[in-house]
Amino acid sequence: MASKAASASASASRSEPPEDPPPARTSETVPFAKEIVSVIDAIKEQVAADRCTYVKKKIAENKRKLVGVTTHVYNLSRQRRNDQCTDNVTDNNVDLLAKRQADALGMQIGIESSNADKESNSNNEEGHTSTAVLLGSSIPVKNAVRPIKLPEIKRLPPYTTWIFLDRNQRMTEDQSVLGRRRIYYDQNGGEALICSDSEEEAIDDEEEKREFTESEDYILRMTIKKAGLSDPVLEAVANCLSRSPSEVKARYDILVKDEKAVGGTKTEDNEETSQTMNSFLDKDLEAALDSFDNLFCRRCLVFDCRLHGCSQDLVFPTEKQLPWSHPDEGKVPCGPNCYRSAVKSEKAAMCGNIGEKSTPTANGPKVQKMPKKKSSGSSSRIQLKSCQSESASSNAKNASESSDSDVGPGDDTSAQLSSPSKTKVTDKSGIHKRNSKRVAERVLFNMRKRQKKIAPSDSDSIASGNILVSDIKLRSNSQKENEEASSSSQKKVKSATRGRPRKKIVPVEESSNLVQDDVPDGPRHEVINDNPAASTNDSLRKEEFIDENTSKRELNEDKSWKPLEKGLYEKGLEIFGRNSCLIARNLLTGLKTCWEVFQYMNFSENKLLGQGVDGSNCLGEGFSKFDYNGNVGNNEARRRSRFLRRRGRVRRLKYTWKSAAYHSIRKRITERKDQPCRQYNPCNCQTACGKQCSCLLNGTCCEKYCGCPKSCKNRFRGCHCAKSQCRSRQCPCFAADRECDPDVCRNCWVSCGDGTLGVPNQRGDNYECRNMKLLLKQQQRVLLGRSDVSGWGAFLKNTVGKHEYLGEYTGELISHREADKRGKIYDRENSSFLFNLNDQFVLDAYRKGDKLKFANHSPDPNCYAKVIMVAGDHRVGIFAKERIEAGEELFYDYRYEPDRAPAWARKPEASGAKKEDGAPSTGRAKKLA
Amino acid sequence: MAKIVLGSEPVVGSLTPSRKREYRVTNRLQEGKRPLYAVVFNFIDSRYFNVFATVGGNRVTVYQCLEGGVIAVLQSYIDEDKDESFYSVSWACNIDGAPFVIAGGINGIIRVIDAGNEKIHKSFVGHGDSINEIRTQPLKPSLIVSASKDESVRLWNAQTGICILIFAGAGGHRNEVLSVDFHPSDIYRIASCGMDNTVKIWSMIEFWTYVEKSFTWTDLPSKFPTKYVQFPVFIASVHSNYVDCNRWLGDFVLSKSVDNEIVLWEPKMKEQSPGEGTVDILQKYPVPECDIWFIKFSCDFHYQSVAIGNREGKIYVWELQSSPPVLTARLSHTQSKSPIRQTAMSFDGSTILCCCEDGTIWRWDAVEVSSS
Repeated sequence: MASKAASASASASRSEPPEDPPPARTSETVPFAKEIVSVIDAIKEQVAADRCTYVKKKIAENKRKLVGVTTHVYNLSRQRRNDQCTDNVTDNNVDLLAKRQADALGMQIGIESSNADKESNSNNEEGHTSTAVLLGSSIPVKNAVRPIKLPEIKRLPPYTTWIFLDRNQRMTEDQSVLGRRRIYYDQNGGEALICSDSEEEAIDDEEEKREFTESEDYILRMTIKKAGLSDPVLEAVANCLSRSPSEVKARYDILVKDEKAVGGTKTEDNEETSQTMNSFLDKDLEAALDSFDNLFCRRCLVFDCRLHGCSQDLVFPTEKQLPWSHPDEGKVPCGPNCYRSAVKSEKAAMCGNIGEKSTPTANGPKVQKMPKKKSSGSSSRIQLKSCQSESASSNAKNASESSDSDVGPGDDTSAQLSSPSKTKVTDKSGIHKRNSKRVAERVLFNMRKRQKKIAPSDSDSIASGNILVSDIKLRSNSQKENEEASSSSQKKVKSATRGRPRKKIVPVEESSNLVQDDVPDGPRHEVINDNPAASTNDSLRKEEFIDENTSKRELNEDKSWKPLEKGLYEKGLEIFGRNSCLIARNLLTGLKTCWEVFQYMNFSENKLLGQGVDGSNCLGEGFSKFDYNGNVGNNEARRRSRFLRRRGRVRRLKYTWKSAAYHSIRKRITERKDQPCRQYNPCNCQTACGKQCSCLLNGTCCEKYCGCPKSCKNRFRGCHCAKSQCRSRQCPCFAADRECDPDVCRNCWVSCGDGTLGVPNQRGDNYECRNMKLLLKQQQRVLLGRSDVSGWGAFLKNTVGKHEYLGEYTGELISHREADKRGKIYDRENSSFLFNLNDQFVLDAYRKGDKLKFANHSPDPNCYAKVIMVAGDHRVGIFAKERIEAGEELFYDYRYEPDRAPAWARKPEASGAKKEDGAPSTGRAKKLA
Repeated sequence: MAKIVLGSEPVVGSLTPSRKREYRVTNRLQEGKRPLYAVVFNFIDSRYFNVFATVGGNRVTVYQCLEGGVIAVLQSYIDEDKDESFYSVSWACNIDGAPFVIAGGINGIIRVIDAGNEKIHKSFVGHGDSINEIRTQPLKPSLIVSASKDESVRLWNAQTGICILIFAGAGGHRNEVLSVDFHPSDIYRIASCGMDNTVKIWSMIEFWTYVEKSFTWTDLPSKFPTKYVQFPVFIASVHSNYVDCNRWLGDFVLSKSVDNEIVLWEPKMKEQSPGEGTVDILQKYPVPECDIWFIKFSCDFHYQSVAIGNREGKIYVWELQSSPPVLTARLSHTQSKSPIRQTAMSFDGSTILCCCEDGTIWRWDAVEVSSS
């Protein structure tokens, strides 16, 4: 704010730091109240003067700008004159206005216009009607012209500009008359109606906390500077600012603090802004999901849903979905960084590389031997491991035993693995998973060795020593190295890099390559694992096989995973299971490659295992919560607690219908005479709904959006109709005024009909559900035109049969209370588009709606309106009551309650009343469906 | 209504006339029995700076101001529909510069009159209710904007007859729109105000391609893809009652409600969040006895001064761009008792016209002040 800036800068120049007034002095010389007041007044004057100068400056500035603008516009108008003049010359196109101007001028000056002119004008000037009479002027002027008629054009029936809605919408905030008085002047009587309650608004106003403005700060600071800090001073200031002294005191403290901080913060500001750029990546996924939870509508599957509002209660379904399994799982790499393609390309590269690698080929045979022994070794190791459960280890044993039979292919791979730095696995599909796991292990060992070797690259003693280590030793190594060797080797690499930076790159690259190459076998199996039921066991087994060194090693790599990425990864596991391709593609696009995801997947699982052993810091990051069914047990508890926290923030409609005298306003209703339907809100029951269930208490059925399990007794079960096409009351859905839901009903489904989407083929028209027209938007074309009755009317384009669905009556969802406020105005204008939807909401199509809002009332209509539950929402459908021919106007009975219906909507005198009313537009009062 | 906080008080003008410039009545004209709602000078074409138009009832009249207080009738148009009651008139021109008189009123039909040929050019049907004001874009005078009781503001191309944009919907006005004005230099910007007590500033920058398209459209105007602008860039609650006139003063806005004053304020928009922002009320120009709605003020070409009539038939002329505001003159005449609906200031402010409820037009001319 410029004004604030101005006074702030002024104060800065004038005032020294406010610490100056010594507290001792204030206690000694407490100025009298009068003095304080005078001081304050002086400062106030100062502030006012500053303000004046500020305004003056502003206006002068604006003036300067304006001069240029008006000059430009003036030049334009000059130009127009010139253009026009030249036009006249060339086109001989007489501008009558200019001509008349000249004539008038000529007449005034008294110069007779030429004869030719007279002739040309004679037609016009004959039969002058004196349209203007000069009064109070001594100068007689001939100022009469013949008026030119503007042909009449039929005006449109009145309407308020409205926006088309294809679905209902909650009322937008600023549409409410809250906070602002809406006054309606009756055009005829001059009567003023205030259509909002001022009391409420007053309360709202006071709730606002007033922030201290710059000038208030300035007064505060200056007063204290001049008069010292003491209670009477504060009181006087508070009085002057009409605030409480404590408030003023608190503010002063803040000011002092701020002032001290000012010096230091300047430079930091820049850094902060640069940091905010990446801040969203550093955020926890939970934090990021907050906006998702707030803005994504589970029921409409869109962001920022206008129907259900943005702060819906969070509902967590008890029944989890199984991880999604890809139908054509398998062979095709998901992209250049897919672990699969990575393998392939490296295979190609390998051929050329083999010879060039410095590593002795002797490595090859040695490693080649590993698999067999290792497999046995690994099982024994597992047995030794105390932290494994018995069953798991026995599983593992079995696995390792069975894997022995696969040694053949395993050897193949290992042979390739031994090749210099790039390990190749020729035919993945042929290799059994456990084998490959072991291969992975081996590679890791191998790699570790190589690292050691390379780190002290000149002396290969360590390397050779490693190579010579017996297989059994390797086994024992596996644990030893957990704690020391591998990590220390890592450290060595690191320290080595510090010492010899030149060397550093080689080991790192190599090791990563190795890891890249060995792991790819994993996912294939793991992905397959997700499909069979045995996934838990398998994955557990897997973990055991994976050398913990892997985890240690990758721990370091893992540091590069940001919390958000980790969170996304977790979600990915929930959704897709252990499919790195899908996770990377769908959740971590641009952040991580498939390959990285895969690595991380293995790593995080290992860590789970290692939990007891090393308890490293990253366990705290929430991975322990992960269980392999794709469920996140702990997460849920955490989230639910968040939900509880949120409850307070949920924006609820301020008014309920109970508090409103809603019987005073006309609202359209439907045929049903009994109680209005009840608004459905999903319950959040985690078990079968009991007495506490909000749906049960509210008297609604549980729907698919509730948290409760499908077995819930309160759920609406849908129908099993087949031949009846759900068109009669025999269908439970139809009977309950609901549309069928493909998710709930057994035989009602949506498809393209050709079976391509995996749904059954169309069984012929006779079986197709006909009770989903609102859901599928299968409406008729409705035309808008001048009504034969009054105002606008809705017409049908094509002929339809009886009970055919014509379209939806859409509008804004408003509370009954709001409807009553608006209804006051609408009823007065005799044009209301209110429609009673249920116990909580009224539809208002006044500003937003569709053409069906223009369908007129008739006591003998050809249509009827019906409130129907569609996927948890009440909607109003308009149906044909009889066969309607193309081009016919649509009418339905608004069903206003007799005592408040306008004259034209009253039953007995139906025909006469309508016309005498002459109401401009169609809808009046609240319609009832 | 924006709260006035300490340190941001507006500068209020004093009602003591400075008498820098004095005016006296030079003519009075009874046009008819029906109230005159609008009078406006032609600022579009410098040839016609002394030509003005008035509307009242079903009649549109074009006059010329001559020397010595003379007013000459140049043209007169009558709508065949006797029930028509025009509320607003504006000057415009087609792309060749031929002058248009554009009027609208209770029927909601915008009449575009080709004054050069003295015949109707086009009639725009589309507004759902009466039209309260029509204004012309000074930089592109074939663009006009209309404010209507149907709660919308519409942008039209007077040349081609296309309704280009409709400013209404989710963020639009919630009651009749009473006044609208084009920003003098920012061609994309308009301000509108109305019976919902707000002033809304709209930007059409995102829709400018449609504006350009409207000039070259050859198909039927009804086939033009008219767009809705649903959200204003700024909503100001400056007044607590009907806002019946607003005008841009550079980047500031002049607006008036029924509170006996014109308010000059600065919209301070927040760049990140459109629709939000604060209002800094800079100055106030008191206008006594101006508490009925539909009284509009007018400025001279260079925005040096503003003239406004009141309920009692008096006119207040304020120096617009001085701080604190200076009242140039207070014009009153014993026979002028009827509410003045609108004033018109000539190019240099030396002539002030006003049109009254009783169907009279008054002409005031500046007289030489013997300044010593």
